[in-house]
Amino acid sequence: MRVSTICLRCRLAALSTVLSLVLVTPALAIDFAHEVVPILRAHCVKCHGGDEAKGGFSLNTRKLFLEGGAAEPGNAKESHFLELIASPDNDMQMPPKDLPRVPADQRRILARWVNEGLPWTSGFTFRENSYVPPLLPRQVNLPGPVGLNPIDQILRKHFKEAGLVPPKPVDDSTFLRRVSLDLVGLLPTQEQRRRFLASENANKRQVLVDDLLGRDVDYAEHWLTFWNDLLRNDYTGTGFITGGRKQISKWLYRSLVENKSYDQFARQLISPPDNDSRGFIDGIKWRGTVSAGQTVEIQFAQSVAQSFLGINLKCASCHDSFIDRWKLTDAYSLAAVYSNRPLDIHRCDKPTGEVATPAWLFPELGEIDTGLPPNERLKQLADLMTDQRNGRFARTIVNRLWAQLMGQGIVHPLDAMHTEPWNEDLLDFLANYLVESGYNLKAVLRLIATSAVYGGVSEVLGNDPASTEHVFVGRRAHRMTAEQFMDAVWQLTGAAPATIDAPVARGKADPQSAAQVNLQAEWVWGQSQSGGKPAPAGETLVFRAELRVPAEIKTGVAVLTVDNAFDLYINQRKVVSGDEWSKPQTVALSKWLKVQKDDTEPANQIEIIARNAGSGPNLAGLFFEAHLTLENGAKITLASGPNWSYTDEEQGRKRLRSGKLVGPWKKVVSAGRPAVYAGVDAALQNGLARGKAGDLMMVRAGLVKSDFLMRSLGRPNRDQIVTSRPADLTTLEAIDLSNGETLARTLQLGALRYAESDLSDRQVVQEIFIGALTRPPTNAELSVGLDALRMASVEGEPGDAADLSSRETAVQDLLWAVFMMPEFLMVR
Amino acid sequence: MDLQEAIARRRFLKSMAGAGAATLAMGSPKKLLANETLVQPEATADSCILIWMGGGMAAPDTFDPKTYVPYEVGLPVEKMVSTFPAIDTAVDNIKICEGLENIASVMDRATLIRSAVQPDLGSILHSRHQYHWHTGYVPPQTVACPHLGAWMAKVLGPKNPVIPPFINIGQRLEGVGEKEELKAFTTAGFFGSEFGPMNLPFPQQAAQSVLPPQGMSPGRFSSRDRLFRKLVAESPQREFASDFHQESILRSMDNAYRLLSSKERSAFDITEEPKESYEKYDTSRFGRGCLLARRLVESGARFVEVTTEYVPFLHWDTHADGHRTVARMHSEMDRPIAQLILDLESRGLLDRTLVIIASEFSRDAIVEGRPGSSANDQATHKVDKLGDMKHYGLHRHFTGGTSVVMFGGGTKRGFLYGKTADERPLLAVENPVTVTDMHATIMQAMGVSPKTGFDIEGRPFYVTEDGKGQPVMDVFS
Repeated sequence: MRVSTICLRCRLAALSTVLSLVLVTPALAIDFAHEVVPILRAHCVKCHGGDEAKGGFSLNTRKLFLEGGAAEPGNAKESHFLELIASPDNDMQMPPKDLPRVPADQRRILARWVNEGLPWTSGFTFRENSYVPPLLPRQVNLPGPVGLNPIDQILRKHFKEAGLVPPKPVDDSTFLRRVSLDLVGLLPTQEQRRRFLASENANKRQVLVDDLLGRDVDYAEHWLTFWNDLLRNDYTGTGFITGGRKQISKWLYRSLVENKSYDQFARQLISPPDNDSRGFIDGIKWRGTVSAGQTVEIQFAQSVAQSFLGINLKCASCHDSFIDRWKLTDAYSLAAVYSNRPLDIHRCDKPTGEVATPAWLFPELGEIDTGLPPNERLKQLADLMTDQRNGRFARTIVNRLWAQLMGQGIVHPLDAMHTEPWNEDLLDFLANYLVESGYNLKAVLRLIATSAVYGGVSEVLGNDPASTEHVFVGRRAHRMTAEQFMDAVWQLTGAAPATIDAPVARGKADPQSAAQVNLQAEWVWGQSQSGGKPAPAGETLVFRAELRVPAEIKTGVAVLTVDNAFDLYINQRKVVSGDEWSKPQTVALSKWLKVQKDDTEPANQIEIIARNAGSGPNLAGLFFEAHLTLENGAKITLASGPNWSYTDEEQGRKRLRSGKLVGPWKKVVSAGRPAVYAGVDAALQNGLARGKAGDLMMVRAGLVKSDFLMRSLGRPNRDQIVTSRPADLTTLEAIDLSNGETLARTLQLGALRYAESDLSDRQVVQEIFIGALTRPPTNAELSVGLDALRMASVEGEPGDAADLSSRETAVQDLLWAVFMMPEFLMVR
Repeated sequence: MDLQEAIARRRFLKSMAGAGAATLAMGSPKKLLANETLVQPEATADSCILIWMGGGMAAPDTFDPKTYVPYEVGLPVEKMVSTFPAIDTAVDNIKICEGLENIASVMDRATLIRSAVQPDLGSILHSRHQYHWHTGYVPPQTVACPHLGAWMAKVLGPKNPVIPPFINIGQRLEGVGEKEELKAFTTAGFFGSEFGPMNLPFPQQAAQSVLPPQGMSPGRFSSRDRLFRKLVAESPQREFASDFHQESILRSMDNAYRLLSSKERSAFDITEEPKESYEKYDTSRFGRGCLLARRLVESGARFVEVTTEYVPFLHWDTHADGHRTVARMHSEMDRPIAQLILDLESRGLLDRTLVIIASEFSRDAIVEGRPGSSANDQATHKVDKLGDMKHYGLHRHFTGGTSVVMFGGGTKRGFLYGKTADERPLLAVENPVTVTDMHATIMQAMGVSPKTGFDIEGRPFYVTEDGKGQPVMDVFS
């Protein structure tokens, strides 16, 4: 039995067959959307819905329905329309005589509906949505004056028409903090602040925006959170442990660092060139039986539609949507593009007997060739999606970017892209701008961030924004995300964790330092290749090396690749795999290696299972090189070479994982650095340089697994796509912030730094304010802060440990109080 | 209620309303228009305690004894039904299993439903059934569904403004198997975290979660709060003083401070319980959780879940050695649950507190799921005849007939509802109660119509699945 999760009507039918021996299905409350609407649509709406109101009767809304006196809620007997429907009189009956009658069972449903008081889904209407979103791009004529940021040109008109005064520019400090948090997710440092304020360049805000967007790694590590939410990628979560879900972290990280053009980005997600970006379309394979509306194929349709087009196909995955134009067949057709099996259409979890035909949502732009195999169909879909005529694709993403920076979408909610934008010119202009820039997301961010309206004061919300009609008056301040909050706190306390959880090699090497890396390893393989013979196809060997680490690691990185495939294990834990020799893997080592305090402790075990593919004997090789810099300054290199040994894998992985591999260990055959593999040298050098750079950066919250505090602050479980984070701080969050262990420990570490420094009280207060709020304390604030620190000093004897510790606790409390200030928590 | 309390309550309610409205800003939950005309039933309970037997509590070894078959080497597995003999209870027509003598003595306060049923969901996975039971919806869903407690928090709000309305005792969400699956339903989902659970996995450490941070004296805690207020007052960004979001942040900080410095805080500290009383509950972490639940309800908690904890292959998740494991579970649960009922009664709280004992499904010796289910046999030792004590017990999942016990909150006393077959398969043969109707029944007691719903991404979402829950009115007095 399949179990519906969405549509109970059908579900009960299934349930009652199971229980029919013992249970008479009880009378159920009428379900307007699922039971009544289809009947009205089939028989009545053509003449009495939408723009039609034959005989002056419209049933578009409940109010209209009742105004006509057609029904008496609660009393079917007194309801005229039921009489008409049931009437045998050809002149009187509805629908008119040449149309099919309403069957008796449906009449009974309508009677029940009336008797139950004519319930109606709130906001539901049979009237077609009067707004039809355009699909094609639309040229926008800028109102001028030329030279002004186009956004400001368009908004000048808006403000004028709305009788509003455009927001005044914010001061430089506020702007600096805002734009740093919005573009790279970090607080500006004191030095950055000093330089920015001192600059007399008239274009210094533009220069700043360019600087920030030029910080490729910081940018990537901030926007990673946005994309992880939107593409429901995570480092842990439902499905990963059973192999029902794959990460796209590595691909996503590199794509952001490179600022991959958005059309290419989307193409690689929809039609993955390799496994690195496959996780998005493969979705989550849930354990057990799932409803027809949650198969991986339907998830594909839902995810592609939501992420790229702002279309909610969730309703249409079960039945024709009641809220927009999408139908069950639309959802299934899109799913069928992905499906590699015939996809039976299910309505509310019951098969309709039809098989879905691959198609996509906007055939007016081109169709999917149903005769093609799935991979080719996906390629076609990717092309159609990123076709320049698909204005929806560009509009959806620029709307999301606008909301990230401006606090609210031009179309809002962000996933209701079928609804009217508050400024069509603005949305369409931004969409065109994206396309014209070569789908350069940073170009759009730059345009927004350099507009006067972005640099203007934020709206002060007098009221609950939900309860008032939205009129754009300026940028809306938004709350820091959980990740921004943690990053900011770590910046100020130095309490960031030591290692990341995301399986990515952080950073970006500058070409110069990469070129300077001197590769020392050699390509090695087993004795089958001695004398220059090629290795047999399918040969699998386990290579092994030991690595002693006598002190804490400052930076540690390894690059490796195998022709053709490998799994790397460090200390019996699987670290990374690869199956394309031309794409070496880079591994940050510090999280995997143990430090040996003395010679008696066992060295780190590096083991690599390497396989040669192919159908006949062919060249095989392994390349491994690790560079470590220790805290004591020592440098260690471990490189594959003639002194490495290997064994056959016949002993199995289990043995490897339990550390019980027994030889016999044989000497490898080294091929040196053959020209045939020289093509990857640059990538190997780059990996080593990048890894070193990456290890020196502060760990960012977006790269570590969610924890209790981040979850509390609104980092979502990414089982579903999430496109906005909570706007308000809740009481439970406030409790966690007030007494949670995680934050308390962080504050202790941070306070220790200040207490151990030789800063005066005044300097401490100033540093904290400038660091956290990008502005010095006012005199009043300074004196509040100084009081707090002085009171502490009075409690302990000067100069003794108690003094230090009480000053330390006072700094902790000051840090906490500043972190809790709305000015800190909001990006204003 | 004195004046101060009255003011506190008003402020809190206002803040809750604010929080609710704030969620609206996200473009999510809007109350359905239909709700305005919806008539909410009259509540018969103000608080609810869900005693959750996570892992699959075998009805034939607890509240629905069948033929007792003692352990015997060579006994064919299919002969094994109940592994505990039945004992009398305070109610003539109700017998339960040996080991539950204290609960037996309070069964005259109970409504015992023996006919709860669940769908099979394919492989009969604990986490999926737990999700279903706690949210009313079968996973996966396209939106994050709220837990039963979150629904109460959202619709009813807190009972006492300083006690969080949804408290979850005894379940770790980190460091245990299937933790991601547990988190998926231990949440307020689309309602937002304001209505989410306050998680107290270790009852003995619960006090710490409402204390100032470790090592911080009350004096320092309040001076830190004063410092914060002074800084907010001195903020030069005065234009934001009336900002909606700023107010909401300050309100939440205020609420938190009030709880962390309130007198109700002591409710979280079970070590303040008199020794004699404490010892009655002190059978296990679960037993102490029952004590904590009682103290919280006394202080005005709205919804408390207390669990024996779901950890794969532990506690009620008996895939092997079922008999001995269940005997241990009996000894952990018997005294605390009975004492909880007696304590609530003696404090005059039982009439308005609905206590529910439930589990995601029952267990059987030879059927996995329900007769005809194709799910894999999940017993650890697949034997035909008992050869060892560890083979003795009900090691497979069973969804065709599960026991649920309710106490107080307007339910009948000493009442038996529904019935399972006397012979295998032990299916519900009278008055089966689905998860949906179980939710409707619980919500009925709390004064919430099963049709109460919200608009989520354009889809109406109801407290019972698609608004279709029918309360079992027979269980109410």
